[in-house]
This record gives sequence, structure tokens and C-alpha cells, in this order.
Amino acid sequence: MEAIEVSHLVKQFGDLTAVNDISFSVPVGETFGFLGPNGAGKTTTIRMLTGISPPTSGKATIFGHDIMHETVAARQSMGIVSEISNVYTDLTGWQNMMLAAQLYRIGRSEREKNASEILKRFELYERRGDKVHGYSKGMRRRLTIAMGLVNGPRLLFLDEPTSGLDVESNLIIRDMISDLISEGVTVFLTTHNIEEANILCDRVAIIDKGHIAAIDAPERLKKTIQSVQSVEVAFLDGTSPERLDELRRLPMVNNARKEGDKFKLFTEDPTEVIGGVMAYAQTHHTRVISMTTLGPSLEDVFVKLTGLQRGGGVGAID
Amino acid sequence: MPSISLSGIEDRLSRELVAAWAIAKKDVLIYYLRPGVIVGGVLFPLFMFLAFTAGKLATPVALVPGLIGITTLFSASSIEPVSVPIERRMATFDRLLAAPISLNALVLGESLSGLIYSLLIAVVVFVAALVILMTPITNIPLIVLGILFSSLCFATLGTLFAAYPTENPGDIISMVNVVRFPLIFISGVFIPIATLPSVGQMIAYISPLTYANDLIQGGYNGKMMFHPIVDVAMLIVFILLFQLIANYLYKRFND
Ligand SMILES: Nc1ncnc2c1ncn2[C@@H]1O[C@H](COP(=O)(O)OP(=O)(O)OP(=O)(O)O)[C@@H](O)[C@H]1O
Ligand SMILES: [Mg+2]
Repeated sequence: MEAIEVSHLVKQFGDLTAVNDISFSVPVGETFGFLGPNGAGKTTTIRMLTGISPPTSGKATIFGHDIMHETVAARQSMGIVSEISNVYTDLTGWQNMMLAAQLYRIGRSEREKNASEILKRFELYERRGDKVHGYSKGMRRRLTIAMGLVNGPRLLFLDEPTSGLDVESNLIIRDMISDLISEGVTVFLTTHNIEEANILCDRVAIIDKGHIAAIDAPERLKKTIQSVQSVEVAFLDGTSPERLDELRRLPMVNNARKEGDKFKLFTEDPTEVIGGVMAYAQTHHTRVISMTTLGPSLEDVFVKLTGLQRGGGVGAID
Repeated sequence: MPSISLSGIEDRLSRELVAAWAIAKKDVLIYYLRPGVIVGGVLFPLFMFLAFTAGKLATPVALVPGLIGITTLFSASSIEPVSVPIERRMATFDRLLAAPISLNALVLGESLSGLIYSLLIAVVVFVAALVILMTPITNIPLIVLGILFSSLCFATLGTLFAAYPTENPGDIISMVNVVRFPLIFISGVFIPIATLPSVGQMIAYISPLTYANDLIQGGYNGKMMFHPIVDVAMLIVFILLFQLIANYLYKRFND
């Protein structure tokens, strides 16, 4: 039995199709990443998979339980960490943990034991008696995740667990996720951080505008990602179409396009391209006024994967 | 295998009740002392009482049963219209919506906190009236039944209105008030139903406060319009009706 099985799931808000006919399955024990830019439909997907939001059409099962018709059974083995740190700020950290556990009917001695262990692991135990009002953003994020773990879930939904946090909080959270993975917990994680997806996930789905563009192992995805690093360059004498063609023919340049008063050159080897551009400027008697290397952007990866041109209709994917 | 399914039901029921209680307890800890709750649930009925007393419409003693009725109405329905929108804004409401419990348990849990709040305040008013005004009492069980059932009824009413998907408590409080204020005047609380115009009398029959007030009046002065069983039965019907509608609305407005 799969931990998650999704077939032809659709969610519409009025005219807007937030999730457009996605299908995938996640085997037990896998860490599955949902990688996509803002507004891609990641949170909407999680809300449907956790039974908070009813799908417009399609079906999802969690450990074999239909989320629409056997909602309670499906939720029993889930932990949910929402993208907003939704903790009760008027309660203490400890009271928050107890409430979360009671919603799953975890008995007193077990929930106190679980809560103590988890809070220690998240370095919140010393502050457990303080109201959450006084917690920092990183502490609230950690508490939110801790609350998602208090029922010992077999399947954990993490909606952007680390976005907006500092390095140290990030590390605590990533370590914890790695531990869970080694304990055999199935994890469904959303992120717009490519590196995070690479570090943590067995497989990654790339989603944009409600469509899944690709599902692949991070290693293979990484190749795609590497090939869309880019160098942005501006010349003293502007951006002519002929120049764009010439730049495309430079060694190691996979593709090029004009962006405002700059050219953007895609490559897997930015260093080589920088050399090529400088040599090109010399031979063509112009000067480079600025040059920047850029890491792969999610948008670029998505365009590359789907073979879409910028501004082209997304409907063309199918 | 009836025994297995029975224990399954028992298991499910206890799970739902534990969760409902946890939800209620959280409301007690967080919302009981909020200014909006205090003003709507405690101060308003008190001012109403003082206004009627000062207006010499009746003696304070004669007003006590009515005061208990409207206090129950206002205090029981003052928690959820404040707590639910705030929880929507903080997204903590998603936690409750995503818990492994039925919507019925969620609605019940929310209403329980209104019920407890209302009971606490009713006890204070009851004791204060007894000590300060030395109000005579005919039948205590009727008063207890009246307070208990009307508290749950009005708490569920508050939860029902709170289903409206807004993040602003003011929106819901004003909607609840559109219902709560007219009820005071058509339910025989301060103005006897017999003196109302015939339209008013008809509306009185579909007001839960009419039946709550009847029980409480009966408990204090022995004068009743209906048999106590009718009053209790009607309040139970309203409780189930509000629970059902609330359940439907929370499902309906849930995106
Ligand atoms: N309740 C709603 N009503 C109307 N539109 C909605 C609602 N929830 C989401 N949307 C829309 O659905 C689309 C997908 O939103 P969603 O929150 O799933 O994106 P996301 O991938 O989680 O983005 P982010 O990275 O910003 O969290 C967006 O265009 C959003 O405006
Ligand atoms: Mg999101």
C-alpha cells in the first residue's frame, strides 16, 4: 500500500485552477518533495491531502483511506505542519503541545513523555512554561513542527518548514527531518529551495501553476538544474538581435535571451562563459559594463523541463 | 459481530469527546477574559437590567428571572463569535479542522466553552440576586434545567454564526446581535408574551429564549406558559437544529 496516492486531483477557486489534474504516489518511507514557486499550488495540494479543503474533482488516499470519505481514519496517522506557524500565542509552549496531542487522543503519560522528548530535541524545553507571545519566529516555527510530531505520525506533511529562518534554526529542522526519515516516517515536503529538496528528498515533483512538470530523483533533477545556471551581461552599446545570435554561439552557452538591457546566457559552466564573453567583447570592440553569475532559478528549471517559452501558455504541457 | 462494532463506536465517541473537551479548554484559557467577550457577555445584560430597573418597569426582584435569561443568551453566545474569527486569522483554526475528529465534535467543543462560560456567569447572577435582593424561589430544578439547556442552545447558536468565513470578530458579533436583541423583546423576558401584538406572539414560539425564560420564570415565581417537558423538549430541538446547521455551514464554507 502506498502512503499517498493521488489521481487526477483538481482544485478550482472560481475561475482560477489552483491545482490542475495532478497524479502521483508516494511509497511508504519515501521523502517526497514538492518544489515550486509562489502560488504554484503546493499549499492547496496539502490542504486537499489532509482533508481540510475538498477537491473539485479527483481522488486522494492516505494509507489506503480515501481522504474525503474516511477522513478521520486517514488523518489518524498524519502529522501536519502548515506554512504559517499556527500556534496559540496566548498559551505556553507546553499547553500547545498538550492540545495538539489531545486532538489525537494521546493519553496523559504518553503525551507528556512525547512532548518532553520533542521539545528537548527542538531546544524549546527550557522555555516550555513561557507563553508563545514571547517566542521568536524561529522558536514558533520549531514549536509548530514539534506539535506536528506529538502524535508520532507515520506520514508527515511539511509545508515550507524552513522558509525565512536563520541558518541555525534551519539546521535543527533539517537534522530532525533526516532523523525522521531514518526512522521510516514518510515525509511530504514543499519548498521553493532547490538545495533543500536535493538534500532531503528521494524524489521531487516540480509544480508550477497547478501542473506537475516532472517527477524525478534529485540527482537527475540536479543535472537539469545545473544546466540552467546563467550569466547576465550588459554591454556598453546595447542589445542588438545580431549580438544575441553571436552570444548563443559562444562555447558552453546552451541558450541565450535578452532581458531588459542585458543578455542572459544559460550554461552549466559559468566560468567558461565569462571568459568567452570577455574575449567576445575584445574582438567586437565593445565593453562589458556589468556581468553577474546567477544560480538556477526555479522558473528557469521549470521552463527547461516543460520546454515552454516565457509567457507561453501552460496549457501546452499535456 | 455486534460487540466489535459497539466498542468501535465507543472508541470513536470517546475520541471525539476528548478532542471536544480539549478544544473547549483552550477557549477557556484563551478567550474568557478578552474585552470583547466581557462586554458582550457580562456588561451588556447588566446594563439592560439596570435600564429596566431605572425605568421602573418592574421591581428588581421581578426582573431577576429575565436577567438570568438574557445573561445566559448573551454570555453563552459571546465566545465563539470572537474566538473562531481570531483563530481563522491566526490559522490555528486549520489545526482544529485537520484534527482526526468529526465536524460535529468540533462544533460541540467550540460550544462547550460558551456553555461553561454561561454557567459560571449564571451562577454568579443567581447567587448575587439571592444574597442582595433575597429573591424568593419556588422550584430550583426548573431554574437549573432552564440555565443548562438554554446555555447549550445559545452557545451552539454562537458557534453557528461563527461559521461565517470572516477573520473579523466584529462581523459575526453584529450578525449575532441582529438575532439576540429582538429575542429580548419577543420572548417574554421583560415584556409578557400575552401583551405582544399577534405577530410578536407567533414569533415568540420560534424563539428558544421563550422556552428558557418560561422554565426560569417557573422556577422563581411558579408562573409558566408551557409544561416544563415542553420547554425542555423545545430547547433540545433547537440545540439539535443549531448543531446540524452549524455542521453544514462549517463544511460548506470550508475551502
Ligand atoms: N482560498 C482561496 N481562495 C482563492 N484562491 C486561492 C485560495 N487558496 C489559494 N488560492 C490560489 O491558488 C493558487 C495556489 O496557491 P497556493 O497557496 O497553493 O500556492 P503555494 O504553492 O503554496 O505558494 P507559496 O509558495 O506562496 O506558499 C494561488 O494563485 C492562490 O491565489
Ligand atoms: Mg504555500
